[in-house]
Amino acid sequence: MTINRPGDLDFNDLSVMDRETVKSALRRGATRREVMGYLMASGATIAAAGSIVTGASEALAATPKKGGQIRFAWDVHGPSDTLDPILFTSSLDYGRGRLNYNNLCRLKEDLTVGPELATEWEANADVTEWTFKLRQGVEWHDGSKFTADDVIYTMSRHLGKESLSKAKVLVASISEWKKVDDYTVKAIMAEPNAELPIILGTFHFKVVKNGTTDFQNPIGTGPYKLAEFKPGVRSVHNRNDNYWNTDHEGPYVEQFEAFGITDNVARVNALLSGDIQMMAQLDPKAASQVEASETAEVFAVPSGAYPTISCMLDKEPGNNPDFVKGLKHLQRRDRILKVVQQGLGSVGNDQPVGPAYGADWCQAANDPVTHPYDPDKAKHHLKKSGVAGAELHAAEIAPGMTDICLMLQRECSKVGFNLQIKKVPNDGYWGAVWMKKPMNVSSWNMRPSANIMMTLAYKGDAPWNESRWKNDRFDKLLGMARAELDPAKRAEMNCEAQKLCSEGAGSLTPTHRAYVDAKSKKVKGFPRVPLAAFGGMEWPEFIWLDA
Amino acid sequence: MMSQLVIRRIGIGIILLWVVSVLIFALTQVLPGDAAQIRLGQQATPETLAALRKELGLDIPWYMQYVVWMGNLLSGNLGISAAGGATIESLIGNRIGNTVFMTGIVALISIPLSVTLGLLAAMFPGQLLDRIITTGTLGLIAVPDFFVAIFLILLLAVSLGLVPAVSYLSGTEGFWKSVYVLALPIATLVIVVSAQMIRMTRAGILNVMGSPYIEMAILKGVPRKRIILRHALLNAIGPIVNVIALNLAYLVSGVVVIETIFAYPGLAKLMVDGVQTRDIPLVQACGMIFCCTYVILILVADIASILSNPRLRHPK
Repeated sequence: MTINRPGDLDFNDLSVMDRETVKSALRRGATRREVMGYLMASGATIAAAGSIVTGASEALAATPKKGGQIRFAWDVHGPSDTLDPILFTSSLDYGRGRLNYNNLCRLKEDLTVGPELATEWEANADVTEWTFKLRQGVEWHDGSKFTADDVIYTMSRHLGKESLSKAKVLVASISEWKKVDDYTVKAIMAEPNAELPIILGTFHFKVVKNGTTDFQNPIGTGPYKLAEFKPGVRSVHNRNDNYWNTDHEGPYVEQFEAFGITDNVARVNALLSGDIQMMAQLDPKAASQVEASETAEVFAVPSGAYPTISCMLDKEPGNNPDFVKGLKHLQRRDRILKVVQQGLGSVGNDQPVGPAYGADWCQAANDPVTHPYDPDKAKHHLKKSGVAGAELHAAEIAPGMTDICLMLQRECSKVGFNLQIKKVPNDGYWGAVWMKKPMNVSSWNMRPSANIMMTLAYKGDAPWNESRWKNDRFDKLLGMARAELDPAKRAEMNCEAQKLCSEGAGSLTPTHRAYVDAKSKKVKGFPRVPLAAFGGMEWPEFIWLDA
Repeated sequence: MMSQLVIRRIGIGIILLWVVSVLIFALTQVLPGDAAQIRLGQQATPETLAALRKELGLDIPWYMQYVVWMGNLLSGNLGISAAGGATIESLIGNRIGNTVFMTGIVALISIPLSVTLGLLAAMFPGQLLDRIITTGTLGLIAVPDFFVAIFLILLLAVSLGLVPAVSYLSGTEGFWKSVYVLALPIATLVIVVSAQMIRMTRAGILNVMGSPYIEMAILKGVPRKRIILRHALLNAIGPIVNVIALNLAYLVSGVVVIETIFAYPGLAKLMVDGVQTRDIPLVQACGMIFCCTYVILILVADIASILSNPRLRHPK
């Protein structure tokens, strides 16, 4: 953080990211003195540092209240809205899922797992069997008891050739789920996987009631009961006063109404005029407008999500290593972070793991970046490659994607290389362009661990290995890490994998973005899990309205 | 004579519906990807794609899909949305009321308003009032509807806080409350459709004013007001009613931008969503509704012009 404003300033004068830095330091247990010392080292006066810390502590310390109604608007919605967890697509689906259902395990802010419908779990020595003890006394919204049969039914929907699950790749190593007794289940693995509890904490593994086939009006065990669901119009969720979690007073809010406002400007207007209290996907360019408002504020969580340009290594011109290396050296990462992402995010190193992955991010492998901005080197490699020009197919599939491509084009023309950008529509992009055209763009949400992320998008035989990179050592490292229960050894393997990926894969990943949303200042208590919009959509049972 | 016309028109309407359904079906095949591909998006693998295609009935050739769809339709079944699994009836039922409500209110305000203003302009051609009306309407026709909408939002909702910025109805509001919530889209649409109707009313009447029998009336000393209301207006009704009918049809099917900006769940946006998700049953259903709307409104307009003009009743 740099504080370059003269005079005294307080907490609210800081940028969103700086405010979050201070708050998270306090949340982690830093003392007032430590945080003030840090602020003064960044150039703040004693008085300013003091008032900043006071403001941050106040923001953290308020007590939750019950009641009220919250309306939230998402950017994507339509007839494809679904309450079937295996088909969840948008973060609106994720949010509705979190209102209605529960997972076996819960992903926490530091991406470790805690108990939810499972109270404890344990693997056997070679990590080929996981046993989950289930919570007793949990009731479905219709009053029936939650048991092992529900879990077996839910988990089996992800297995097999006929499964429609969008997340089946993640659990392909499970050969079957077995019921031990009414409150114990077992996953039998064909390949060891030490990260199974983490995977089961993600969105598509919400537990549904045994035998559910109609997802127009499903019941769950979650903090809110579904009162109305009209795809593409809205859903209404009423508080479940019989919620099983007694660790806190929540769920607090009486009722949630969820709907979509697809137009970016209209969504911000609705928030500013008080018609809604939460809105997903704030255009970073509109952040200052929201910050200037007295009633609303930006809610940004740095994440490992990233927009990327991929050169397919099995097609011309990506099959020429010098070509890819040249382009990698032409990325002005700092500038893209500052201009395109408005500083909300972090610098990327052409591999999928960013600092938001916490302990999984390997500093030694990524800082400084493998391919820093260097036009001379780029020119050398591009010349050596003998490639005269290339065509990049770009669609605005993530905020700022097109701008990133245009910046690369500009740098290319500076060193005399002709990079054509062909703009294509978002509509149908994933089926028609992605992994088909030799150079295309892609966007990934953050996954709960580095291993899962790298396995999905970079493992040699992965269906979504978008740059078609194949490295035997890398694949072997991923498998070894999954079977390794010792964190130190896993970290070492992680480091090597990230280094290999950054050097060899065909991806140009200049930045990791933050999830940038906005909300009324009156809505408080958000967890900050970096996996999806609005703190990983973990908010339903925690947030409250300060009337 | 009149009943013959109606029967013939209904027959043509049915053929038209069939042609439109074939066209829609064929055109959606040209778009890249199918419902399964779009639904799985970035998460598609060949295996899940095949499984979902089978589930949605997309694994058979497109002409067979059309036959299946037609068979369902003839037995009164609109089918299941390929995008999300809800029934088409439930998706459309939610929105048809919304669209009819908004179209109705806009029509109730804009038709009397534009006929009156058009008449006023025609009564005093070239004078100040006429100049204001013609220049004003020309300006409004030139301004795109989303611009009018955003301007009204910024002025009336964000700065002044008089009305809501999004037209979000929870379904429990009474009539006046609904009108209040819909104030901005109604105002925007009234402005957009009235401008055209005003100009057509004025032009239609001034056109008739040049004909010999009006000159005769003027020579006989009939007051201008009486000439316009009794002689010119009745003869100009044909074109005016047709413009009104086209504008009403536009309100039902073409207000995607307004529905998007105000997050108002109506039919037009539903069809666009359907196209984006390659949800053929949904697109077909919307297409049929829009086609019917046009057929019926144009029929009504034609009947009105025949009734107002005896010459059309006896075609040579």
